[in-house]
Amino acid sequence: MITFENVTKTYHNGKQIVHALNGIDLTIERGEIFGVVGFSGAGKSSLLRCVNLLERPTTGRVLVEGQDITQFSKAELRQHRRRVGMVFQHFNLLNSKTVFANVAEPLVIAKVPNAEIRKRVMELLEFVGLADKANHYPDQLSGGQKQRVGIARALATRPSILLCDEATSALDPQTTSAILSLLKTINREYRITILLVTHEMSVIREICDKVAVMERGKVIESGSVFDVFSNPQSDITKNFVNSVMHTKIPESVQRLLSEPEGGNRRVYQLVFVGASATQPVLFQAAKKFNLDINILFGNITELQGVPFGHLLVEFRGPEREINRALTYVREAQVDIQEAVGYGH
Amino acid sequence: MGIEWTDFVTALEQTLTMVGFSLCFSAIIGLPLGMALVVTRKGHILENALVFNVLSTIVNIIRSVPFIILVIAIIPFTRLIVGTSIGTSAAIVPMVLSAAPYISRLVENAVLEVDTGVIEAAQAMGATEWQIIVRFLLPEALPALVLGLTIATIGLVGESAMAGTVGGGGIGDLAITYGYEQYDYHVMFVTVVILILLVQFIQTLGNLISRRIRRR
Ligand SMILES: Nc1ncnc2c1ncn2[C@@H]1O[C@H](COP(=O)(O)OP(=O)(O)O)[C@@H](O)[C@H]1O
Ligand SMILES: [Mg+2]
Repeated sequence: MITFENVTKTYHNGKQIVHALNGIDLTIERGEIFGVVGFSGAGKSSLLRCVNLLERPTTGRVLVEGQDITQFSKAELRQHRRRVGMVFQHFNLLNSKTVFANVAEPLVIAKVPNAEIRKRVMELLEFVGLADKANHYPDQLSGGQKQRVGIARALATRPSILLCDEATSALDPQTTSAILSLLKTINREYRITILLVTHEMSVIREICDKVAVMERGKVIESGSVFDVFSNPQSDITKNFVNSVMHTKIPESVQRLLSEPEGGNRRVYQLVFVGASATQPVLFQAAKKFNLDINILFGNITELQGVPFGHLLVEFRGPEREINRALTYVREAQVDIQEAVGYGH
Repeated sequence: MGIEWTDFVTALEQTLTMVGFSLCFSAIIGLPLGMALVVTRKGHILENALVFNVLSTIVNIIRSVPFIILVIAIIPFTRLIVGTSIGTSAAIVPMVLSAAPYISRLVENAVLEVDTGVIEAAQAMGATEWQIIVRFLLPEALPALVLGLTIATIGLVGESAMAGTVGGGGIGDLAITYGYEQYDYHVMFVTVVILILLVQFIQTLGNLISRRIRRR
């Protein structure tokens, strides 16, 4: 659906040169919610804006539905932009126009007949839950309501792609949830591909199917949200995952672990999916191999609707039995990683 | 030398004529000029360094010439345009010439105040440059534009007084001939009161219209 081929973007700020994108290769499939996460300045917005050419790549190609959009004429680009909706962090509504007129604007620009505009706008306002606010002005709305107007406006021309640049970053947590679930509805009901960028990993966890982590203009890690969350590779990704998953072992537990103890003892990090399955497996293993099992720390969250968790587990007993228990647990599809630094 | 109330009425009429016409013409010139100063600047939707620099320089040059000198310097030009170099209509020419660049700067300021996010939104929905100007920049800048035009109008009231130099007449001229040159303080007092009321009226009207547009 959207393919970045070795895309670079360089800004010239007077004498200063900023390499915002350093060779991006990325594919976003039709119908998915693809999230890009990274710190401020990583190049997320630059990447997003290459999809509707608000920023033109310095080199490389951006293919949308197989077409190289960098080769489009001005008129073709305008047509293309009607197929790509955009939602902004600060909404970017026209304060001089009513909610209705704001949502109608893309249609007016596309010279859609008035009667049709009326119908479409009311339908959209109904969909985002603001039908009663049609004649209000943006400054009479809350942040969440403004973003709903922004989303309705972005959907006016029935785009196949929706770009969201920090769409919830100016909103409080509750409003954020509501807007995210609205985006999810849009994705599921209208089959609109959503590309969103954010600095908040919680947004990725909440609605994305796939994620790419950006740092200094590069994608350093990407994959399904599930894979990246359960098995982050780079330090930055681990930090992002930790920020929402709390997989980091608390210091009090770490201190406990570093104390010398008698007997053979091993500590493992278990990553599991579907909370119900794990604990019985652990206790069965304990019984079967006659081990002491101690859950030191644990955390469970939901990823794409599936419970997903980490357990820090201490096994005490003969080495051979521990190994047999681990094999047994692995067979139950639990991923086991040795908790580094806490062996024996 | 006596002065009748009708003289004041005539003078007020002349002032309003000069201010009204020159406001119209200078807005017609200043509005597109100011918009051009915005959209041709670096990084804007119709970036064009040559056009921007030429326009900006011309505006600066005219703006730096004192009005009274402008009035005299362009007498041949005035004669070319309105066929005479004295009278109310002759005063309008230098007033327009001086107010148009001023208005263009006020327009430029008002339009630059528009959030760049609005332009991005317009581009993202596939608007043409013309649509961005007419459907986004203008309506968003309108309340500020009205306030700018109010300032310009009041400035024109002041200039209309000096336009007496070329026989433009008007309230200000009355104040200068009777008050300043003949020490008739009564006339001067009345004209000053009329001018104060006029300026007050223009400012109030401008504020009112601007507020109306801002929050319909
Ligand atoms: N229009 C621009 N002109 C110059 N530098 C820019 C521009 N836009 C972004 N940058 C720079 O490019 C880098 C990446 O910015 P951006 O894509 O906005 O990152 P992010 O959205 O991840 O915060 C930053 O260093 C930023 O300062
Ligand atoms: Mg950004």
